[in-house]
This record gives sequence, C-alpha cells and structure tokens, in this order.
Amino acid sequence: MPSNARAATVFVAVVALLIALPFVGGDYYIYLFALVFINVILAASLRPSLTCGQLNIGHSAFMCIGAYTSALLAKNLGVPFEISLLCGALLAAVVGLAIGYPSLRLRGVYFAMVTVAFVEAIRLIASIWVPLTRGNAGLSVPKPSLLGMTLATRTSQYYLALVLMLIVLVILYKLERSRLGLVWKSIGMAENLAQSLGVDIANHKLLAFTLGCFFAGVGGAFYAHFIRFLFPPEFGFLLATNILVYNFVGGRGHFAGPVVGAVFLSLLSEPFRGSPYETIFFSIVMLLTILFLPGGLITLPGKLAGLRRWRPTSGTYAPPASA
Amino acid sequence: MPLLQARSLTRHFGGLAAVSEVDLSVEEGEIVGLIGPNGAGKTTCFNLLSGFLRPTGGTIVFGGEDITGFRPHQVAGRGLVRTFQLTTLFQDMTVRENVLLGMHLHSRQGLRRLLFGRQIFPPDEVRGSDEVLEFTGLAPQADQLARNLPHGHQRILSIAMALAARPRLLLLDEPVTGMNLEESGHVMALVKTIRDRGTTILLVEHNMKAVMGTCERVVVLNFGLKLAEGTPAEVSTSAAVIEAYLGAGLQHA
Repeated sequence: MPSNARAATVFVAVVALLIALPFVGGDYYIYLFALVFINVILAASLRPSLTCGQLNIGHSAFMCIGAYTSALLAKNLGVPFEISLLCGALLAAVVGLAIGYPSLRLRGVYFAMVTVAFVEAIRLIASIWVPLTRGNAGLSVPKPSLLGMTLATRTSQYYLALVLMLIVLVILYKLERSRLGLVWKSIGMAENLAQSLGVDIANHKLLAFTLGCFFAGVGGAFYAHFIRFLFPPEFGFLLATNILVYNFVGGRGHFAGPVVGAVFLSLLSEPFRGSPYETIFFSIVMLLTILFLPGGLITLPGKLAGLRRWRPTSGTYAPPASA
Repeated sequence: MPLLQARSLTRHFGGLAAVSEVDLSVEEGEIVGLIGPNGAGKTTCFNLLSGFLRPTGGTIVFGGEDITGFRPHQVAGRGLVRTFQLTTLFQDMTVRENVLLGMHLHSRQGLRRLLFGRQIFPPDEVRGSDEVLEFTGLAPQADQLARNLPHGHQRILSIAMALAARPRLLLLDEPVTGMNLEESGHVMALVKTIRDRGTTILLVEHNMKAVMGTCERVVVLNFGLKLAEGTPAEVSTSAAVIEAYLGAGLQHA
C-alpha cells in the first residue's frame, strides 16, 4: 500500500537522522533527545488504554514505580541494568494489574478518578518512605550498564535510549496492528457492541492497561539511570497530564499520534522545563489543539493538502445492493 | 423444551418495577415479537436476557443452561446474540471489519496467531464474512466505512454482525426503526430468511405492520407486566391490548 510505504520511508529516514544526531549535535542535543525518547515511550505506552476508551490520568505513577525499582535494585543490590530495568517494568505491570482489576470495571470518569488518586498515592509513598527512597531528599542512581559495561558517556546512553524507544514502539505497533489491537479499538468505539459479540471487555481493558504500565515502567527505569537523581515530586499529577496531553495533541487516530505529540511538545516546551510556564504552555497548546485540530497534529498534513487543492468531499453513498 | 425460557423475570429500578414477573419462552425455530407501548419494559427485557442488566428476580434458561446473571460476553458465547435499538456499529471501521469482528466469538486463535499472525483475519473468517455480506446484500459496500452507509444499510449491518456471531437465538431490538416501507419490507424478508436458515428470532418492534406480518407469536408487555400472548391475529383483537395501546374509551367510540 502506498501510504504504508510512505510511512515506512519516513520512519527509516527519521531513525537514520537520530542515529546521525550525536555526530552533528552537541551534548545538549544528545541529552535533550534522550529525554524526548523517554517521553515518546511514556506517551506511546498510554495509547493501548486510550484505544480501549480508558482515560488514565495517572500514568506517571507506573513510570515512578519502574524508576524507583530499577534504581534501588541497582544501587542497593548491584543488580545489572538490564535486569533492574526488567524488574522495574514487571513491578509496574503487577501494580497496574492490581489497580486495574477492580477499577477497570468502573465506567467512564470513575476510572480516571482512581488513576488520579493513585498517582498522588505513589508520589506520597515515594516521599514518605524515607528509609527506602530517601524521600524528598532525592535518590542518586548509578549509570546504566550493558553486558557488564557501564555506559558512562551521554552518547552511549543516547543510543541506549534510542534502541529502547524503537523496541517499545515496534512492540506497541505490532500489538496495535494485530487482532488484539483491533479488538481494543472496537471496545473504544462501542463497548456494548463488542460485549454483545462475545468480547470480554473487562479482561481486554486490563490487558491493555497492564501492558501500558509495563512500558511506562521501562521508560521510568531508563529515566532513573539517565537523570541519575530521583525526586518524588517529579512524578506527580503534572507529568501524568503531560503524558495524556502528548496523546491528545499528537492525535489519537493514529499510532504515530502520541509519538509526534511527545516530540513536538517536549522540544517546544524545552525553554520552560521545570518552570511554572511549562504548565501554561501545555494548557495553551492543548486548548489550541482542541479548538483547531481536534484530530491532533497527525491530521495537519491532510488538512493542509486539503486546503491546497480544494475539492468537494467525495460522496460515498452507494445505492442499495438489493432492495 | 423451549430454547429460551425466562421465568418470573423481574427488574426494579429503585421503587419502579420496569419488568415484573414476566414469563417468556421461545421455541426453537420461531419468530417471536415482543411489543408494547413506550415504557412497557421491552428494552429492559432485552437487556436482562442478554446480560446487560442483572435481573432482580427470576431465572433465564437458554438451551438447557441457567444463564441468569451471566455477563454479556458469556451470554453471547452461549449463542444468544443481540442487536441494539440505536444504531450501534464500529463507525470508523469498514463494513467488512465490522462483520469480521462479529465472527470474533468463534475464532480460536492462539496468542501467537493473535499477536504475530501475518493477516489479522485468517482466510476462513474472511470467507465467512464474505458469505454474510453476500447474504445481507452488503457486499458492494464491504470496503466503505460503516459511518458512511445510509441509515437503512447501517441497520442491516448491525444484523449482519450479529449473524456473523452465528447465534442460535437472535434478539433484534427495533430492526426497522426509521425505515421507509420498502426498506422495512426488505429487512423483514431478511429476518424470515435468517429464521429459515435455522436461527430463532425474538424481536422488539414498534412498527405493528412489520410485527404482524412477520411474527408467528407475539408477547405484549404493558407497564412491565405481560398483558397478552398469542398469534398476531389473537393479540390484535384482544380487548386488553387495544385498551393498552389506544386507551379505554376508544372501544366504545
């Protein structure tokens, strides 16, 4: 299919550029893009849940669990990075399963409220459990390693982030394009209809949610060893809403939506990072998107093309086949 | 033994008995109509039978198995499949994808196939969906998005999806609502063909002409109670039914 071929070309070109980046950009860009990759992982991992129609406003909690698990295992027990990352992701998934099992049965806004409460609970636990996490004094974390070698340079860490992001994206893309992904989509579109056709919606929502938590844990674990300092307030409600905003601004109709949203917003908000203006910036972008591009940035090229060559919308009505 | 047997089916919403002590049975191979004035409890009845609502009292036995309190997907898995009153479709999927999802119930795919299969739908399911599309006359529109179909075709598509799930008993909730005479005649003919191919049918409908022309047996509900039951001819001449529909005074007019 031509549109698929085009998407594949864009993908390969972007990956090639990202591989070349450390040769042309300075340390600052390497650092910045590694952070962008983490945001992409977080944004994309929220998508399965959103596809099922579940509004999760607490995704950063699972990132937090992944980050602290991996950091503590590496710091206190000397567990190698590959293993600690996996443990962080698995614990995030297990906690996701435990939270999701009772709460995914709730409809609409109630599930969203549970996730909001949960993200605050996790942040508070990280702040209060001082003997383990050092609370708001912050936790320093060792550098990532691979096969026993410490990845000391920013460049090597950048490539690790790139590879992690690509692995996560390929897995999530495969899932979305599988039968399972189509069933998730059907639940998001018409939950009652999916049920009436024999889909166990509770289990499917739980699976989508748990998988998302797993990958958020992956993102969090890498984040911990990359930033090398964990501070509980960073994982609060604000970060969770940002992850959600990436999805909405990028566009929910296409797999690339959260990726585009995360890249666009992370880069544009860079001057405001950590300042109160960051929130204002995100709010304004979110409002503008809802008003002018309800389908998200991903629909922008199509809209521009439509403006350039003005043509009437093609009628899709076909006469009845047999009547 | 009837295919579906509901005994003293009851559902309260707070103090209101939406359905009260209704006995309903459907024999294999029948077309049964469930009629009644607005608010009589028809749709509540459907929601109870299909597992979308839990009954407050009573039992539902389907194919010899007690399915009271089953969840909707479990009910569907037993072969009792419903459609919805408001046109409910996967709007942003193609007509064929909609039908293919209808077949989901019977696909026995391992996890490996589910995740890594080269095609999302195996050839036998595609063939099955083609058959359903051909049968319902939707084949020419197979690759259109469901949302772009005209209303009448959307209603037919919702029946096609239910059919793809290969039901033993098909519950149709107002299948000809909003259709003109020609369209509703077409759908009712389709319903009869579906029955002739071996699927039992229970339908709720406001369109009296459609009900009387198609159903072999009619159950009348009023204020959540079963008011009458019989052939269309018997029911349409029953004084109680006429009273419920038209008001008491009219008989003397």
